[in-house]
Amino acid sequence: MAPTNQVLVNESSNVRTIVLNRPKQLNALSHEMVSRLLELFLAYEEDPNVKLIIMKGEGRAFCAGGDVAAVVNDIKNGNWKLGADFFSKEFRLNYLMATYTKPQVSLLRGIVMGGGAGASIHGRFRVATDNSVFAMPETALGLFPDVGASYYLSRTPGFFGEYVGLTGARLDGAEMLACGLATHFVPLEKLSLLEDALCKANTGDPNIINNIINEYSSTPKLKETSQYFRLKTIERCFSRRTVEEIISALEKEADKNMDDWIAWTIESLKKASPTSLKISLRSFREGRLQGVGQCLIREYRMVCTVMQGKFSRDFFEGCRALLLDKDKNPKWEPSKLEFVSDYMVDRYFTALDDNDWEDLKLPARSNLPSYAISKL
Amino acid sequence: MDRVNFRTQIISNHLTTTQNNNNNHNLTTLPCINYQPPELTEPRPYFDTLLLREIIDGPMFKNNDYLFSLMKQSTLFCPRNRGGKVFIGPDYNKSMEEQREMTMKRIEYLRDQGVFDGWFDKEGYEGDLWRFSVAESVSVFDHSLGIKLGVHFFLWGGAIRFMGTKRHHDKWYKPTETYEVKGCFAMTELGHGSNVRGIETITRYDASTQEFVILTPCESAQKYWIGGAANHATHTIVFSQLEINGVNQGVHAFVAQIRDENGNICPNVRIADCGHKIGLNGVDNGRIWFDNLRIPRENLLNSVADVSPDGQYLTAIKDPDQRFAAFLAPLTSGRVTIAASAMNTTKIGLATAIRYSLSRRAFSMVPNEPEVLLLDYPSHQRRLLPLLAKTYALCFASNHLKMIYVKRTPESTKTVHVVSSALKAVLTWHCMRTLQECREACGGQGIKTENHVGHLKSEYDVQLTFEGDNNVLMQQISKALLAEFLAAKKRNKPIKGLGLEHLNKPAPIIPSQLTSSTLRTTQFQTDIFCLRERDLLHRFVTEVSQYQAQGEKSKEHIFSVTYQIAEDLGRAFSDRLILQTYLDVEATVPAGPLKDILGLMRAMYTTIVMEEDASFLRYGYLSTDNAAVVRKEVPKLCSELRPHALALVSSLGIPDAFLAPIAFNWVEANAYSSI
Repeated sequence: MAPTNQVLVNESSNVRTIVLNRPKQLNALSHEMVSRLLELFLAYEEDPNVKLIIMKGEGRAFCAGGDVAAVVNDIKNGNWKLGADFFSKEFRLNYLMATYTKPQVSLLRGIVMGGGAGASIHGRFRVATDNSVFAMPETALGLFPDVGASYYLSRTPGFFGEYVGLTGARLDGAEMLACGLATHFVPLEKLSLLEDALCKANTGDPNIINNIINEYSSTPKLKETSQYFRLKTIERCFSRRTVEEIISALEKEADKNMDDWIAWTIESLKKASPTSLKISLRSFREGRLQGVGQCLIREYRMVCTVMQGKFSRDFFEGCRALLLDKDKNPKWEPSKLEFVSDYMVDRYFTALDDNDWEDLKLPARSNLPSYAISKL
Repeated sequence: MDRVNFRTQIISNHLTTTQNNNNNHNLTTLPCINYQPPELTEPRPYFDTLLLREIIDGPMFKNNDYLFSLMKQSTLFCPRNRGGKVFIGPDYNKSMEEQREMTMKRIEYLRDQGVFDGWFDKEGYEGDLWRFSVAESVSVFDHSLGIKLGVHFFLWGGAIRFMGTKRHHDKWYKPTETYEVKGCFAMTELGHGSNVRGIETITRYDASTQEFVILTPCESAQKYWIGGAANHATHTIVFSQLEINGVNQGVHAFVAQIRDENGNICPNVRIADCGHKIGLNGVDNGRIWFDNLRIPRENLLNSVADVSPDGQYLTAIKDPDQRFAAFLAPLTSGRVTIAASAMNTTKIGLATAIRYSLSRRAFSMVPNEPEVLLLDYPSHQRRLLPLLAKTYALCFASNHLKMIYVKRTPESTKTVHVVSSALKAVLTWHCMRTLQECREACGGQGIKTENHVGHLKSEYDVQLTFEGDNNVLMQQISKALLAEFLAAKKRNKPIKGLGLEHLNKPAPIIPSQLTSSTLRTTQFQTDIFCLRERDLLHRFVTEVSQYQAQGEKSKEHIFSVTYQIAEDLGRAFSDRLILQTYLDVEATVPAGPLKDILGLMRAMYTTIVMEEDASFLRYGYLSTDNAAVVRKEVPKLCSELRPHALALVSSLGIPDAFLAPIAFNWVEANAYSSI
């Protein structure tokens, strides 16, 4: 494939700085970008001259996600399997990052959402900063948190992952660090100094890299109103077995002690696609006990079922309402949680009934870290 | 000496390799031994591992996973990072008192997440399955947690439910569900355990105040091992002889309060601690004495018998034996959970030891060659793989027991009793034996508490004797089989039930010259297991009648001297039952890879039973020649199962977090940098 200017690479001896370069679209990952990134990561793993990979975004955002509008357009123009090809590449890239033998440092300026989270959180070092904004907003779009979110969100403390994934809540840099989605926090003004220092050090030793980042790090204070202080309530409510029980637990909390945060939380659950909520919750629950590979294989089944559109077309409706027509008024179908049966939810987790379709094939790895393994 | 030279050679090789590395700039430091995850080195699963997991976990596997996930997410369950993975498990280095408090806190956490909501409301067999699933899943984390919960919900709650009537349900269900009332179950005494009918606590009725008066008349009557009594329980079920107007009406159950809402022990009750135990220290076992404790008349659990306000004893079941049996029958649920928990624990042991054996190497076959994986040694395969196949067989049997329990009818009481006795004994023995083998198979790593396998032995040892001593249970099976046989003979009708119908057919013929392929046929396996059961039952009948012919009157005495054959028969019955349930499961699986594997494991199970149980040779079901064929088949089966070992332990369905560091990257988990 011809090199693209949507992904730039700066070479500095043994360090490769990958720049996501589609600033007008907030660096949303196009098919072209995902293909290029996959190519680069595969090549760098083999290349003895590469020791360290730095990832960053051009402009205001790190990356606002996968270019979903383009995917929907592709599907509309023909076969949903074009979309499947996009997600297959993206998820393989996520797996590669999660099991990579060389360190990846992601500098998370601005927006880190959806696919952007997938392209950074799986890596070894995730550096949040003052203007970082993290979110997995897929349930509002009729999709579900993919790109391995069922792995990394389900491993945040308590049931914070369910909360973040179901509501699409936005986290700032301090919150990202607190819940472990970020490994470091470096103030905005020091971020380029850190980048220079890493290039200068020219090393692939994770301990040295860690020490260098630590030198520029500071401990951010959580805002007084931070949702991270709501962990107890989140645990009480989001640990529940079903989405319905989660909402009713939240409503009970609201009866006792109504405030903006509870109201917002309930509101965002009620606005989200009922099908999305149900499949997302189950995905987190399964993901909690699985390795990252299994998570991605499952999510691939799910995303293909979503695109196939047999059981719900919420994804297309969500994209229409939020990205194309921008009326922000999606008409979900099924419209209520109680209309989404267990049978329907099950369909998203089984292999597709389609002769040309097959499960996600993860790239073979020579060195599988133990967190990537889970037996089921 | 050769050996020594050989080792020296290996060591010096290590040293020279390291030196070479230092001169080579392209290579970073290479540790001597790298952890290789078996997922990378083992063949891909030949069958659908998820499907097999659904079969052995049964219809509630999603609920199990939900509970696993709840436990994994709470800091109360002590998450620890080892080698890049999070493991949870109690801190057994804490004092007994601290362990008890942690157990209680974990229960409160589960309660607060709504895990017990609707405990008594969920109806039908699905409700039963759900309750079992809760108890079993928490036991995977810690036996103490499972037992503490089991005492409260299954023993205390079960007694209220099954032995009590509406007035008890209305009063106790709700506070039990919320733990406002913490229940315990005072049956066992210092002087009487398995023999419940011999307990000495006495309860008399005082018509003038309409109260019962409970008395511990002597030291041997003190209630003993009462889980929950030492620290937390506020109420207890008391088992006691009921004496009405000087007449003993046999054992009955009462509800008594033993602590007030502030946790102070009530007047006329004395409580002491059972002290530190070899395991299960998260359960506060206590001893209780009753000093003429008065309780209201309504506190008699009156499902089968009642006492009227004026002190008349009323019951619909006149025969005290039948009354007692009807009374205790619903409590069989204890054995169902014990059997299932024994299997889960066995799974933890095997998954850990087999995963370790797929990444740990020892000794080279040829100098300078890599050392050999433990599980590539035929002897190591022989130690672990038959236990793995047997575990699958016993899991199917445990599921069968659960199903006949939850779908029980008055007619099936006897079957449930016999099957639960048999499987409780066989499964718990299998659990202990497997844990011991797994602990040895892990070498020194097996004795580290954080690696579970060794420690679980002491945590689970108690299961061999509680809810019925295993040896006593095995003898009870033979007694029940004898009774069935004699009853059928007396009625001159074919024998029915307990799977004994094969006795009505002519005795199966065993081929005089066994071959490997015969050993693997369902026909042969069924034939020889049936032959053994049938012959032993006939021998037992003959031996008992010989004693009777000699003039021995006491049946109990006869049973006490015929224990040898009774035990052989008990085993024969259990093995045949297990094979039958295995075949039933197999029949539900369509032809394909999974069915092939199930067939292979069945062959392993039956072959190993024949190899290990002396009765096949002792009574001549196998000739010495055939026994040799059986023995030769074992290593063959082991090598055929070997490629499936990883997939088979994956299907056991224990989440990684509940296994141990040695099951994964044990090099990194032990690295100096991880201290």
